[in-house]
This record gives sequence, structure tokens and C-alpha cells, in this order.
Amino acid sequence: MADAPVVCARELRRDYGKGEGLVRAVDGVDLEVAAGETVAVMGPSGCGKSTLLHLLGGLDRPSAGEVWLAGRRIDTVGEKAVARLRRGAVGFVFQAFHLMDELTAVENVELSALLAGRSPRAARRRALDLLEQVGLADRAGFLPTALSGGQRQRVAIARALSNEPVVVLADEPTGNLDTAATLDVLRLFESLHEAGQTLVIVTHDSRIAATADRLITMRDGRFVDETRLTGGTTGRSLGALAGLEG
Amino acid sequence: MRQEVVLALLAKEPSHGYELRGRLRRALGPLGDAMNAGQVYVALTRLEKAGLVTAERAGAADQQDRKTYVLTADGHQRVSEWLSEVDWPRPDLAEFHLKLVAAAGTGLADPITIVDTQRRELLRRLREAERAAMAEPDGSDAALLLEGIALRLQADLRWLEECERSWSERGSRS
Amino acid sequence: MGRVVLVLRLAVRDVRRRPVEAALLLVAIMAATTTLSLGLVLRQAAGDPYQATRRATAGADVVASVAPLPSGTQARPADVAGLTALTGQKGVVAHSGPYPVARTSAEAHGRTVAVTAEGRDTTSASVDQPKVLHGSWVRPGTVVVEAALADALGVRPGDRITIAGRRFQIGGVAVTAAMLPYPEAFDYGVQPTMAQVKDRGLVWLTQADARRLSAPADLSYVLNLKLADPAAAMQFVDALEPDPSGSPTSGAQSVPLLMLEPWQVTRDNASILARNAQRVLVAGGSLLGLLAVASVAVLVGGRMADQTRRVGLLKAVGGTPGLVAAVLLAEHVGVAVLAAAGGLALGWLVAPIVAEPTAGLIGSAGTPPLTMATVGLVTAVAVAVAVVATLVPAVRAARTSTVVALADAARPPRRTAWLITLSARMPAPLLLALRLAGRRPRRLVLAVMSLAVAVTGLVAALALKAQLSTSNFASTAGLNHARTERLGDVLLLISVMLIALAAVNTIVITWATVLDARHASALARALGVTPQQVTAALSAAQLLPALVGALLGIPAGLALVAAVDPDSTVDPPLWQLLAVVPVTGLVVAGLTAVPALLGARRPPAPVLQAEHA
Repeated sequence: MADAPVVCARELRRDYGKGEGLVRAVDGVDLEVAAGETVAVMGPSGCGKSTLLHLLGGLDRPSAGEVWLAGRRIDTVGEKAVARLRRGAVGFVFQAFHLMDELTAVENVELSALLAGRSPRAARRRALDLLEQVGLADRAGFLPTALSGGQRQRVAIARALSNEPVVVLADEPTGNLDTAATLDVLRLFESLHEAGQTLVIVTHDSRIAATADRLITMRDGRFVDETRLTGGTTGRSLGALAGLEG
Repeated sequence: MRQEVVLALLAKEPSHGYELRGRLRRALGPLGDAMNAGQVYVALTRLEKAGLVTAERAGAADQQDRKTYVLTADGHQRVSEWLSEVDWPRPDLAEFHLKLVAAAGTGLADPITIVDTQRRELLRRLREAERAAMAEPDGSDAALLLEGIALRLQADLRWLEECERSWSERGSRS
Repeated sequence: MGRVVLVLRLAVRDVRRRPVEAALLLVAIMAATTTLSLGLVLRQAAGDPYQATRRATAGADVVASVAPLPSGTQARPADVAGLTALTGQKGVVAHSGPYPVARTSAEAHGRTVAVTAEGRDTTSASVDQPKVLHGSWVRPGTVVVEAALADALGVRPGDRITIAGRRFQIGGVAVTAAMLPYPEAFDYGVQPTMAQVKDRGLVWLTQADARRLSAPADLSYVLNLKLADPAAAMQFVDALEPDPSGSPTSGAQSVPLLMLEPWQVTRDNASILARNAQRVLVAGGSLLGLLAVASVAVLVGGRMADQTRRVGLLKAVGGTPGLVAAVLLAEHVGVAVLAAAGGLALGWLVAPIVAEPTAGLIGSAGTPPLTMATVGLVTAVAVAVAVVATLVPAVRAARTSTVVALADAARPPRRTAWLITLSARMPAPLLLALRLAGRRPRRLVLAVMSLAVAVTGLVAALALKAQLSTSNFASTAGLNHARTERLGDVLLLISVMLIALAAVNTIVITWATVLDARHASALARALGVTPQQVTAALSAAQLLPALVGALLGIPAGLALVAAVDPDSTVDPPLWQLLAVVPVTGLVVAGLTAVPALLGARRPPAPVLQAEHA
């Protein structure tokens, strides 16, 4: 069971519209993500990568194919069961953060723990720990509007982690951030990766995608390329790229 | 690396060779590691010969590190010229482009495979650059340089995507 | 536990984030609950005090009285023997009297009123022993004054009163269930239905004192009967009463001038005002309830647009559809419960003011009690209003695909093709107005309904007012006037609340339209439409449904009056009805101008840019 993929999709398809207007947003995708792996799905906007992410996290239903999450098939269960599964097994991170404006940082983080039925005290303790982990312990009582974009996304990541999900699904997590904030988020992902967290990131930005262990390129609903980025050494050093040699 | 870089670093104040190396290291961050220690001294020796710097011996005679290097008037002149130069390193895209054309024309290799291989290589480099950038503390000079590297690689990757699309279309047409 | 905390927290925070909307919601629902509680409380006020008085005074089931035939050829004294014979009737289990009654006048503090002066024993009677509220029961030389009369004259025990020219001291103030309170007291032995001056009160004195007040031949007599079956009082009377044509003039035979008053008739007459007010209030409360539903629907519907993203978010982090619906409902139901509490409190406080004319009966002077039934009903109605208005959007939100909700795709506007074609030929503001109106047909219906309900209420109020001022009601002299005034006050109160609520609705609908049309109006302005034209368009978009609503409301209002009070319908003057339409239009134009102007003056660029965010 140790080698069983955390996330698994088989022959996954998602259609929109009918007849002439039929669009195959996801068109026959097979994917396996191993525990502790960071996978990036890259492609231009409209290639179907966000739809794929929604399907993997149970936010959307496939037209055909199977989705397995932590060894359970999720495309056949009811809306309520999917919600419960999302609550426990999946942490979502969105481009637009999607924090509740009327809740403080710590209240946003404990949201999913409370939804999962944890006691308010336990949820609060966990939320404060997570904020500490993302470096925002001193911002716990702030409303999202009082936080910078990068801080908001870190709060959102803390929220995604609150129920110890088997996988964190991130949809353009740095799309709304400047370079410095992007680096903060990438550093956070890196530390999660080191701690063994499984991560799936979809992005159109090759720089974000390049930080993953494995990079999948998607176009028109299909996977067109897959590159393992770890292991292989680059022929030239960074110094050479900067013009310091040769 | 051009000698003018070492010359310009000296322009601030007379310095020892190791001080120059320290400044370089700070500006380049992890990329400075790639530089071999001798490079700075080789450059200084050449600059001294060219009359752009003079070396003043402070302590014990034959220890290079004890030498303090000072810019001469010619040296100052050279630094000003260098700073106002509008030179820009040209990436050699033509070579890769012609490689694809040749591969397709001769049938010796598939241009798409070449592009893919190249893409993977660039992605690995990009990964290294990003990881180096993530390791840099906020506001370091080297982070800016790494950002530049990443942006160039990104531009190259985008061009490769165009190449791939273009060549695969041509392939399907013929 | 955690989930309950979460639902409550989200509800409370959302209310706090939008205090104005929450306050509007509260006001809308509270207007309805206040009116409803008032109506319900009054229903008790109308029945209860009489019952209380009846119990406290060992009230008679039938009050029998005889009067002498007025002076003239056939003049003769009252037939006491005939009256006394009634005590032998089957079913009579107890009686008091006959007591002598003088019809005369009383004067105190410079005011003179007609009184019925009843001579009683100083000891307690087994049937109809008036309950002394202040002072003590009759003694030789003292008078006990009926409570409502004492109120009207402003007299207390110890004061002096002149009756039929004789000076007495007031010994006490009492209430009875045998007689209507001042100013409705009737002449014993004289049919109360006949046109007479209804400004009469009741006093009690000793029999000896009463006999001194008029010539023996002019005395009437009253007999209080207790029946084995009080519920059968009507039948008892029907069996005895000569057929109605046997009126005093023709009926010199049998039992002339005998009058039998069953207690049910007295009860109904005693509570007639409270019941009228209650009818008006219940009808008004229903109208206000409808308006409240419209308000809440618009407010909630308008909010759902910005709730969509919250819903998506809640679902993304694992909220089940049920929880999402609970979050949405909790907030509005909370506000509704608060509004119910406020409405009950207000209704309870206001009720005595409206019910006051029934003073003279025990219990009505205080506040009628709030029964569990009233509390339950009002709360249920308030919660129902909130649930009805919230349920559809909540279920829709709970069912929305999470992905769609997260993308914050609000419900796309409808496209009403014929309206677009039609509007193409019109000047810019009207073109925009018609297209704006056509985008949200449901909101259009709500706007029409809201105004129609308000105008219905107004027209009904106008009709009732016309009725009050023309009926013989108002022509009666004296203090009776206070009564119609009181009913007029209730009408005014309801009209004001209807208008206020309709105004709130109009503003809310306009604001929702302004927000909804933000992008469209920004685009229009980018294309060169002036802010004034946009303002005019936004106003006009509300004006059209308002006028339709006004036109619908006029017949509905007249129908309502006819339904509530089928007996005596008087149409309000035609000019008033005709004025309703343009006045509604003007008011709506005025009300919509402010939010429309605020919306239209925003610079277009940020709105257009916000699209990309």
C-alpha cells in the first residue's frame, strides 16, 4: 500500500456543452501522483489544467473516467461524501486566495477544521501553529484586507494544511503575487515538500512549474509532455548562464 | 568576465585583492562560487601591465594579498567608457534555429526531439535558478541577478514552445 | 460543536459587515411583526376584559328592563309586575332586582352628560354586583360612577357630582358587565339600536336616592337574570321577545317596552372598537408581511450575488450543501427572530393605547397578556418570511457547482429580446431603463408587487377614512368622536408603516439594480452616455414597475376593503384615487434618484477594470 499513488486519474474526461459547441476541457488524462511528490501541470490558459485540478479535488465531476484520492474512488460518491473527503483529504490553494473577508487570519485557517467537526479550542490551537509555520503568527488577528497578497496566500496555504490533507492542490498559487511574495510561497511549498507533503500545482508560469519534481505539460485537454526535473544534472552551471564563464 | 568589472570595483577606493573578491562574492551570491579565486588576480596583473592600475606594496614584499591596488588616471578613463558602453550580450539563437532547419532538411534528426531535449535542459536550469533564488535572503543583490537568469530562461522556453508548435505543424503538413 | 460555532460566527460577521442591510431587514420584518402582534394582542383585548368583568361581577346572562310609556295619551308607568314575572321563567336560576332606574343627567367639573341612574341595595347582589375599583359601594347620599364615565369626567371618590339637580358625593368607581361603558350606555327599556344620543353614562346610588331623582311614573326598572345555561341566553331572549314589529307605539298589550339584553350582545358591542381596530391591524399586518417578504427577497437576492464566492469557498474547504444552506439561513432567521421579539414588544406596548376606549372593563386598563400562542405565531411568521425569501437562493447556492461559484459568475442577466428591440427606438435613458429592467424579470416582479401592496394598503386606508367621515358614526355628537379618531390613528399608523416599508423596498431594489448594472452603466458611460442619463435610466427602471404597481394597487385596495368589511363600503373620492398614481411616481422618482445618482457618478474605469481581477 506504501507505493499506492495518493492521487490517481484514469482516462479522465470532462466535456462542456453539446453537439457543435462541445468542448473537451480534459480529454483522456492518466495521472498518478506518488506520496511526497510535487507535480506541476503547466500549460497556456484554457488548456484544461484548472479543470483537471478541480476534478482531482472533487470540486467538479468528470464526464468519464475515474478519480482516486487516497485509495478511494471519488467520482462516484455523493455530493456530501465528496465534501467530507475534500474536508479531510484535500487542501485547496487558489490564485484569488478566496479568504473570507469578514474572518480574521486565524479564523480563516481554522475554518476547515471547524467544518470537520473539531472542537473550537483544538481548531484554534492548530490554526495558530499553522500560522506560525507560514511565518504569520503575529498576524493572526488581522483581517485579510489588512494583509499583503503574499501574506494572504500564506494564510490560504495554512488553511489548506489545517486538516493534514493527503494532497494540496494549488491553482496558480502565485498568479496574483509579485516576485518577492512568489518566492515566499515557493519557499513555503519547498518546506512542505521536504516535510513529505504531496503537492499538485497547476500554473501557466514555467518558473513555478520548474520548481516541481515532475512537470507535466498540458495542451488542449491532453498531456503532451512529462519531464522529471530531479536527478539529471545540467550541463552548465548557473554562473555560465549569468555570463561568468566562457 | 571582462577585466573592466574588476577595474570598476576598484574605482570606489584602493583595495586589496581579497577585498575585491569579497565584493564580487556579495554581488553574485551563489554564482560567485563558480569563479575561481585566481581569476581576480590574473585580471589585476593584466590591468597593472596595461597601466590602468598601480599596486602599492604595504607589508612583506612578495605576498600578493598585501598589495593595495589603485586606479590610475587611464584606469578612471577606462571605467567611465565602460560604464557608458551600450553593449548587450547576444544570445546565439541563430545557431539553434539553423540546427533545427538542418535537422529537418537532412532528415538526420527530428527537430521536435531536439526542441524537447533543449526544453528539458532549460527547465532544469530554470529549476536551479529558482532554487538558488529561494535560498537567497530577501533584498540580496544576487537575487536580482538570479531573477534575470530566470526571466531569460523563461523567454527561451517560450521561444522553444513556438519552435515546437511551428515544427510540429510543418511535420504534419508534409 | 465546532460547526455550530462556525455557522453562528459566519452569520454574525456577515451581519456586522453589512449593518445597513441587516438593519433594513430588521425594520422590514419588524414592521410586519409589530402590526401582527398588535392585531393578535388586540384580539385578546377585545374579548378578555369583558369576560373578566363578567366573572368579577357575577354578570347577568340577561338584563331585562322596562320603561314607562312616554307622556302622552297612552302614558303609563313601567310594568314592574311583568318584569318580576320573568324570574319565574324556565331556566332562570337567580336574579337581582328589579331596581329602579332614573334617566337624567349628571354634572361634574362643569361637564354635563346624560346618565342612567340605577338604584341598588347597599348589600351585595347575587347577580350583577358591580366591581368597585376605587372607593366603596353605594351608601345613602353617595354615588358610584361607572369607570369609563369617571375617566371621561375626571372624577374620583370624594369628588362632588350633581345628579338631577341634587348634589352627591362620589363614593366609588366601579365596572359592570351588564351595561356598555360610557359613552355607549343605553337607556334601560329603550331599544339601543334606535337612533339616539350615544353619550350616556351609568351611575349607581341607593334605591331611595334613585327614586328621589324623578317622578315615580317616569322610573324604569331593571332586572338581572342568571340562567342555568348562560350560552343559551340568546335563545332565552328570542323565545320571550315579542316579534320586532310589536314596537312601543303599537304594542300596548302584552309586555310593552320590555327590553331583554343577552350578555353576548353586550360583549360584542363592548368590544366592537377593539375588533374593528384588530381587523384593520390584521389586514395591515398581512400587507406589511407581504411587503416584508418582498424586501427580504430583494435584499437576500441582491446579496446572493456577493455570497456566491463565499459559497464556493465554503464548499471548496469541505462544507456540505446542507451546511452552506444553514449558513445562509442562519443569518436571516436570526434577524427574523430578533424582529419577532422586537415586534412583540412594540405591539404589546402599543396595544393599550389602541385598546384604551374599552376602559370601563376590568383588565383593559392594563396591558393584555402575551400568550404563548401569540409569541409562537408571530415568531413563526417572521421566521417564515425569512425562510421563504432565503430558501430559493440558499438552495440554489448550495447546489451551484463549486467551480462556477468560485469563479464568481453571478447569475447572468436575462436577455429579453422584444424589450431590446423595443427600446432601440427610444431616447438613451429610456433605452437603458428598459434594458436594465429586462435583465432581472424576477426583481421587476418584486418591485411591482411591493408597490402594488403599498398602494393597496393606501387605497384601503383612504376608503376606510372616507367611510369613517361619512358614516353616522361621526355625526354622533360628543366624546364618541374619540373612538373614530382612535380608529383613524390606527389607519394612519398602518399607512405610515406601509409607505415607509415600500420606500425602503424601493431604495433597496434601486440599489440592487445599481450594483447589478454597475458594469453595464460603466460600459454605457465609456460609450459616451452622461451620468445624468444613467441616473435617469436607473430611476426610470424603477418608475415603470412603480406605476404598474400603483395601477394594480387601486382595485386591489378597494377589493380589500370590501372583503374586510362587506357591509358598508364607501369609495374614497375619485380625485384621491387618481392622485395615487402620479404621487407614487413622484415619490419613487425621488427615492430612486439618490442611489441612482451615487451609482451613476462612479468613474467607469475602476468598474471595467474590476472585471479582470
